[in-house]
Amino acid sequence: MSYVVKIDDLWKRFPLRRDRPGFKEFIVNIPHFLQRNQDSHFWALKGINIGVKEGECLGVIGRNGGGKSTLLSLILGTMYPTKGNIKVSKKMTPLLELGAGFHPDITGRENILINGVLLGLMRDEVIDRMDDIISYSEIGDFVDIPVRTYSTGMYLRLAFSIAIYTDPEFLLIDEILSVGDEFFQKKSKNTIIQLIKGGVTTILVSHNLAAVKEMCNRTIWLDNGEITAEGETEKVLEEYLRNIG
Amino acid sequence: MDIIDREVKRKKDLLLLLTKKEVTLKYKRTVLGILWSLLNPLLLGLVLFIAFTIFLRFHMENYTFFLLSALFPWTWFSTSVTISSGTLIANIQLVKKVRFPRYFLVLATVLTHLVNFLFSLPVIIALAYYYGKGPSIIWLLGIPILIVVQFMATTGICLMVSILNAYFRDMEYIIAVFVNLLFWMTPIVYPLDMVPAAYRLYLAINPLTYLITAWRDIFMSSAIRWGNIGISWLVSLVFLSFGILLFQKLGKRLDEVI
Repeated sequence: MSYVVKIDDLWKRFPLRRDRPGFKEFIVNIPHFLQRNQDSHFWALKGINIGVKEGECLGVIGRNGGGKSTLLSLILGTMYPTKGNIKVSKKMTPLLELGAGFHPDITGRENILINGVLLGLMRDEVIDRMDDIISYSEIGDFVDIPVRTYSTGMYLRLAFSIAIYTDPEFLLIDEILSVGDEFFQKKSKNTIIQLIKGGVTTILVSHNLAAVKEMCNRTIWLDNGEITAEGETEKVLEEYLRNIG
Repeated sequence: MDIIDREVKRKKDLLLLLTKKEVTLKYKRTVLGILWSLLNPLLLGLVLFIAFTIFLRFHMENYTFFLLSALFPWTWFSTSVTISSGTLIANIQLVKKVRFPRYFLVLATVLTHLVNFLFSLPVIIALAYYYGKGPSIIWLLGIPILIVVQFMATTGICLMVSILNAYFRDMEYIIAVFVNLLFWMTPIVYPLDMVPAAYRLYLAINPLTYLITAWRDIFMSSAIRWGNIGISWLVSLVFLSFGILLFQKLGKRLDEVI
């Protein structure tokens, strides 16, 4: 089977100085800035190779700062690699930070439209699915008022509903298996499991090892920007647990 | 081919929705909202009118019309540039977490203020009518051409400004000062032929001089001067190309600085 995502020798570097210099400073002292750019940086990913085949669910585990979220952002394309190649052959549906594309001052309905289109649908398709999205999210009449009035749970529920109604082909999930109350958590988890069983390729980043075990057939363990272990989920989890225990 | 068609249509949908969002936010769903946004250039016009014709006793025929016919297009330009310097930062969540063409944010800003400009056209038509200067059929040709030219130039500059501001936080303030300077370096409140010949060269290197003059030619004398329009068009092409290049180049490292 063909690869949905193929990553070759991926490196990602961030400058360590995160304070932003002023333009006036920059103009006055250009050589200084260019030089500083060269020496202080941090490698978030160091030569990663990953291939995910169609219909696979790949788990990504590891300690905080291991490079998991950076990896997802790079695959999604909101970050660019410093070195290396990423090839993606399917439409991506990110479930990273739910509701990231929402604007607080417009209504739920207006946000559904924009986010549906951002996630790959056409406007008319979103309109067709509007009722399904609203009913799945269980936010009811709140859909016609600005989302800044929503509770955190409602906000997340709406965002999740939009995402799963955009015909996902390739899911990128970062720690979102706790959407809303327990009832909705169960519902959303079931939906994701159904999508995976239905053949949707998935990368699941999570600290919830039970969920990884349940959903992923293969897992990689990222530590310090490098792949420490890779293979069958059970074995990788075992090694991971032994190591941190 | 089908997939490409679909993507093109989807991108169009996205751009329209983003613009509609900004327009909605700007006007806050009120009818008065449109009037409020016209109030800005109108008040500026009033202040300039009082300062120049009453305090400084500057006399010129149809000065109100003269002023506003340049002030409205100028407002489209200056507001777009000022607002777009903060566009990427204001939409930081979208930029960081969602994959879509980021220049759409800038385009949406320029389009939103184009809508604003279109709302000001009735005022200009009323003035033209009042002063017996038109409107004429030439407007139907001239206005769309100038809108395209100004749209290209403004978008180019907005692309540069927005991406530079992501790298250098003080860019916003520099831009504000620069826009203010540009306002006085462009023949908006004074006619070009009143400027002493020795200084006219400085105005001649300002591309906005040609654009604003072209707007005024159409509104006040229903004239299309192809020379001015040609120069404006060439300059806007340069700005647009450079804007796209810079935005693309610096955009690749945006995730590291924003």
